[in-house]
Amino acid sequence: MLNKFKKIIKDFTLNELLFGMSVTAKELVNTKITVQFPEERTPISPRFRGIHALRRYPNGEERCIACKLCEAVCPANAITIESEMREDGSRRTSQYDIDLFKCIFCGFCEEACPVDAIVETQIFDYAFESRDGSVLTKKRLLEIGEQNKKAIDQTKLEDSKYR
Amino acid sequence: MFEIEIDGKIVNANPGENLITVTDREGISVPRFCYHNKLSVSANCRMCLVDVEGATKPQPACSTPVSNGMRVSTKNDKAKSSQKAVMEFLLINHPLDCPICDQGGECELQDVAMSYSSDVSRFNEGKRVIADSDIGPLIQTDMTRCIHCTRCVRFGAEIAGIMEMGGTGRGDSLKIEPFLQEGIQSELSGNMIDLCPVGALTSKPFRYELRSWQMNAVEGIARHDSVGSNIHIQTYKGKVKRVVARNNDNINETWISDRDRFSCDGLNHENRLQKPQIKYDGVWKETEWDTALVYSTKALLREVIDNKEESKLGALASNNATLEEYYLLRKLLKQVGSDNTDYRLNIKDLSNTINLDSNIKIKDIENIDYALLVGSYTRLEQPMINHRLRKSSLNGATIDVINSMSFNYNLPINSEYILNSSQIANLLARTLKAILLSKEQEIPGYLDKFKVSDADTQLANKLLSSDKSAIILGEHLINSDNSSNIANLISIIAEKTSSSTLNLSETGNSIAAKSTGFVPNENGLDANEMLASKMNAYILLDVYPKYDFHNSVSAINALRDEKTFVIALNSFKDSDVFDYADVILPISSYYETSGTHTNVEGEMQSFSAAVGSPKDIKPAWKVLKVLADLLDLSGFNYTDSSKVTSEAKQQIKQNIEHDREINLINTKGVEIIWQPSPYSTDALLRHSNSLQATKIGQLNTASMSASTAKSLKLSDTDNYLGVPVVISEVVADKCVFISSSNETISEKIS
Repeated sequence: MLNKFKKIIKDFTLNELLFGMSVTAKELVNTKITVQFPEERTPISPRFRGIHALRRYPNGEERCIACKLCEAVCPANAITIESEMREDGSRRTSQYDIDLFKCIFCGFCEEACPVDAIVETQIFDYAFESRDGSVLTKKRLLEIGEQNKKAIDQTKLEDSKYR
Repeated sequence: MFEIEIDGKIVNANPGENLITVTDREGISVPRFCYHNKLSVSANCRMCLVDVEGATKPQPACSTPVSNGMRVSTKNDKAKSSQKAVMEFLLINHPLDCPICDQGGECELQDVAMSYSSDVSRFNEGKRVIADSDIGPLIQTDMTRCIHCTRCVRFGAEIAGIMEMGGTGRGDSLKIEPFLQEGIQSELSGNMIDLCPVGALTSKPFRYELRSWQMNAVEGIARHDSVGSNIHIQTYKGKVKRVVARNNDNINETWISDRDRFSCDGLNHENRLQKPQIKYDGVWKETEWDTALVYSTKALLREVIDNKEESKLGALASNNATLEEYYLLRKLLKQVGSDNTDYRLNIKDLSNTINLDSNIKIKDIENIDYALLVGSYTRLEQPMINHRLRKSSLNGATIDVINSMSFNYNLPINSEYILNSSQIANLLARTLKAILLSKEQEIPGYLDKFKVSDADTQLANKLLSSDKSAIILGEHLINSDNSSNIANLISIIAEKTSSSTLNLSETGNSIAAKSTGFVPNENGLDANEMLASKMNAYILLDVYPKYDFHNSVSAINALRDEKTFVIALNSFKDSDVFDYADVILPISSYYETSGTHTNVEGEMQSFSAAVGSPKDIKPAWKVLKVLADLLDLSGFNYTDSSKVTSEAKQQIKQNIEHDREINLINTKGVEIIWQPSPYSTDALLRHSNSLQATKIGQLNTASMSASTAKSLKLSDTDNYLGVPVVISEVVADKCVFISSSNETISEKIS
């Protein structure tokens, strides 16, 4: 009896409507969480595994020494490397291809690399317009590395204390 | 035989065995670096330490002999901690540059370190670094990586027979390096690459190419000599990348010669023929296979079959084709109606050839107690046979040599006779007479004029008194005036003294050619007769005239004749072939075709193709089969080469009968022995850049004695037949010994 009476009072005073509206009213004044991609971006962990890049040493020498460990560890067989002796006698790659259609972005290549040459950047918004665009060549990988040098160095530095 | 206990397991052991032999046999893994079952025990790496009950300290399994009731633990705490400690010491000076090391992935140090070492190094001091020296075009050194196991040093001393690598310095400054500045010159040097447990010695032609896990290994047979060493052919993406040894204790043990190991370089040479070509009015045009084969068939019909001149068709082959190819070419000609087939292109006089059957197994050579080597420098010509001979000599055998020049053997030679071919024949005749005299047997008439000296009797007595003796005839005397006499004398001497014989004048796969009947019968013409009589058509199987023919000028002239239609099956380009041929069909080279190799002991070893042939290049047996089909010949419907093999094997002729007539001739004038350099005996070897860069590959000397030089009016600054003259007193009188791969010699020699 008492419960029935309470319900009638609630219904007539529009209690639930007002409760709902209060949530809306609160969100009216709260900071907005919608991000206007690509003008705005959400923060990404330094361990995020996006598109790959090949790095260089500060003196401009490429890091990769063609040890082929990334090729061996890659679970999707996405990496193809051909090695050769460069004119100065050092061991280098003549071909370094990553097929992004095969790649599963597991990050094993980065883990395996003894010289931190191959890394996965935080870049995830990329597109290719032709079918063979999916294959990142050595030239393209080095370009990505150079264009994003600062960002890569920064994320590696941030993550280094946990390694 | 008694029982010992290893890790709680009771196993049988023979007295005198080392522990590691027993553990290896029982499949108990004991880590090791310096121990190798074909080398002596040095026990210097200490990696195989195990705990032997009763011994206070851990013992190295490789040098601890087993004893009755011994109790050994390879895996208890004592053994494990000592193995771990040794591993830590070994890694102190190892650079750990595995990512750029070619051995990475097939490295014994890497593997053992994974299982036996701790994962963190406690060593923070500076590591030892050793400067490298260039030791030749085959082996790359990186001696900083060396762990001083001394396998390469022991290999040189015990197997190769020339101690080229050695340790200098002591303790921390111990260096393994070649003693001489000239680098490594052994004909077996490549085995050091296989032996080195780390990346200190790696293959130079293969440097930085591939990781071991990327390649497929196919079992194969090396066909450059008449031993047929067993090999693994390692391939990657349809290309042969590397050849390594495969164990076969009956033939090559675990070793192979450099020739077998590094020849694969030549397969991808730019000189490979890529497409069939037809010569229209003197101009070569590339064409398709259909066109080329139909063109060849029509020419054969026109020149030979339609005008009933079947006997005017000839087939010549080099001595390195497969058994199947010889058989099919022979069968093709026979069905057309011709018996003119021959492979003996380098013989001056085919009525005077070496006919000697081999009747000793390769593995038995090491058990003989006396060997007489006639006309052979086995070390370079047949390295694996030489290795067995060396083993026999280390086992105590006496080795005597009869040669036209003194060679740098790597085994102790008891007595050496430096004689020209007629003197060799005379020596053998006198020896035979001495043998017959001592056996009190009838002396045949041709021996009457010989007077037996004490030296001859001595030689005869050595042959008579030894239980297991062997007479080995090499390839130097194939073109001497007395070659058949020498072969016959040897076979009679061997019979009278119950010695074994080994005929090393058979090279490549020539025994297969002989056994498939590729030599002409009484109706057919031999190679020289063919070239002398005008033939209408030839089928040439992998012939390169300047290297294969004894007299290349007359051969090329005969083949160049306008009325002669020449179908040339070749794998490499050759200017002379372009000159005389009318159709060139590109055929597969070594490792690209399946087939069978017959070695000097008669062992037929079949192999499959390791890689497919490049586009537009076909295996010769398929080309011959299609050619036969197009000619409407019956019995050529083979689906794969093993069908040919089984058919050929049924018809193989063993021990062909030949007469043993002896008619000794005294050679007049100067005798020339031309021995092509061992790295130029077939087209693939000639296109292997790494082998050609070696000292052996660049052999180019015409050795003669001062008196011979005087009679030829030459001095040591001159050239003889285009080859620099070397005056040496270890060459027989009236004899010039040419070791060279200079292709112009065959033009000038006749």
